[in-house]
Amino acid sequence: MNTPFLKRLWQGFERTRVGRSIFRVGLPQSNLERSQAMVSSFLLHVQPAKVNRHSLRASYSLGLGLVSLYLFLILIGTGVLLMFYYVPSTERAYNVMKDLQFVVSAGLVLRNMHRWAAHLMVLFVVLHLCRVYYTGAYKRPREFNWVIGVGLFLLTLGLSFTGYLLPWDQLAFWAITVGTSIAGYAPVLGPKLKYLLLGGNVVGQEALIRFYALHVIVLPAVAGLAVAVHLWRVRKDGGLSRPDEPADLVQQVELSQLPVNKTYGLMELARGRTPQVDQNPEDQVFSWPHLVFRELLLFLLVTAMVLFLAIFWNAPLEELANPIHPPNPAKAPWYFLGLQELVSYSAFWGGVVVPGLLVLALVLLPYLDRGRRGVGRWFARERAVANSVFSLCLLVAVVLTLIGSLFRGPNWGWVEPWKSTPAITEEH
Amino acid sequence: MNSPTSPRSDEVSRRGFVQLTLGWLAGTFALAASAAAAVRFLVPNVLFEPSLRFKLGKPDDYPDGSVSFLEDERVFLVRKGNTFRCLSAVCTHLGCTVNRADHGYHCPCHGSVFDEQGVVKSGPAPRALEWFLVALSKDNRLLVDKSQRVNADKYLVL
Repeated sequence: MNTPFLKRLWQGFERTRVGRSIFRVGLPQSNLERSQAMVSSFLLHVQPAKVNRHSLRASYSLGLGLVSLYLFLILIGTGVLLMFYYVPSTERAYNVMKDLQFVVSAGLVLRNMHRWAAHLMVLFVVLHLCRVYYTGAYKRPREFNWVIGVGLFLLTLGLSFTGYLLPWDQLAFWAITVGTSIAGYAPVLGPKLKYLLLGGNVVGQEALIRFYALHVIVLPAVAGLAVAVHLWRVRKDGGLSRPDEPADLVQQVELSQLPVNKTYGLMELARGRTPQVDQNPEDQVFSWPHLVFRELLLFLLVTAMVLFLAIFWNAPLEELANPIHPPNPAKAPWYFLGLQELVSYSAFWGGVVVPGLLVLALVLLPYLDRGRRGVGRWFARERAVANSVFSLCLLVAVVLTLIGSLFRGPNWGWVEPWKSTPAITEEH
Repeated sequence: MNSPTSPRSDEVSRRGFVQLTLGWLAGTFALAASAAAAVRFLVPNVLFEPSLRFKLGKPDDYPDGSVSFLEDERVFLVRKGNTFRCLSAVCTHLGCTVNRADHGYHCPCHGSVFDEQGVVKSGPAPRALEWFLVALSKDNRLLVDKSQRVNADKYLVL
């Protein structure tokens, strides 16, 4: 036996009384223990003991949901650390940013990680949404999990928005001003909503502390809970969608016809079937090690990517908030520039109606598109119409974002990025 | 639940009906009241914000034909001859501060353009910039009241 020293040391610890009391099942040696390891661990038991090979194929899921989850975890870790220094005060917040940059050990890298992880999370949540759409994975029985996913997408945007206000730099101040003004255009409740968000009529201390509370506890708590439900439902719906999935809900229909005065065991009530029924055992592999180690590897990759970005690129920090002069042009982060471009045509139509209808369409999608064909494959030909419509919307969003990012200059006027920007003339 | 008075299991007895109704009503009311109280809690009763009425310098501090930007109040004071007017510098679109330009005002955020009278010439702004009431105090200083909007043709004449 040529077992590595560390592994032998670990196994020695496992066999002690203390080790047994903590882990119950040690590093699995047999298939039985591989199942036990998954079931007996709090962190692992949300996952099945065996998993379909299809779910493991990186070319199917691209790991986008997991990457989003890992970014969320990195954001919680770095965010909690940043909270030890941050003060939600208009007089001190900006100075804390400078302290983090120049004084606090590792403060710069932590803030950079937090910012880049936030940007990446928006990107990967959108990519994850696209993956689920293009593979038709939102269809029955996963309709409601798609709706939760749409909610998580909005929560991600809300977390980003409330987050970039906290440094109290120019971006922060004008983003609150513009963002809450858009809320003010909402029908009926608009002005009241704006007043509630700002805690008054002007953007100041009350607004900062409200967004702070939203950013550090309200939204993360809701998002954390939604993530838990999202993952749990993936498990309950039989893992990732795949082409050869058995017809669903059969057993529930049968359940309603069973006698009601009998006590049932859990196995009789659980929806779906045991993994063996109708399925090729060859398609199932043990989660330990096949799933768990892939997940760990991906976590390492994501952390390395965020760290790499954080070490080589600094998170932007604009000048101290100045209520007198908006920067010219005053631009939101890239993921809101499509919205800003829309808003530059009309605040009501671009800021309220179009985004509202898009969200409504996303929520209703799985209940409107009920065809069962083409699930579990990328760009299935049976879904050509649905995929084309989605691609068109996506293209419009990308084009709007590109216009907002590259082709808008001072006074939101049209500029061509390959030419030098005209000098900004301001007079008062 | 199968008492002799209820022959079928899906039928609700009188007592059961009253209990159910009261129970649901009480539960709904408790939830609604808590939610309303929480929302009301978040609506501030006292604002620690700058006053909407403020005092400026003497009329002669602002030369004839000038448009002065008053930073803290985010307004322009416009003097023409012996007339004084006060124009809001807050864009009616999404609240950015507009910049003075030749023959009007430009908003840097989303590109609205206003003329000298604050009327929208182009861009997404839905309304003209607002004009505020200007008065003269007893100690001969200009007073502006941002809570009182006036028409563009209303002047303080000295």
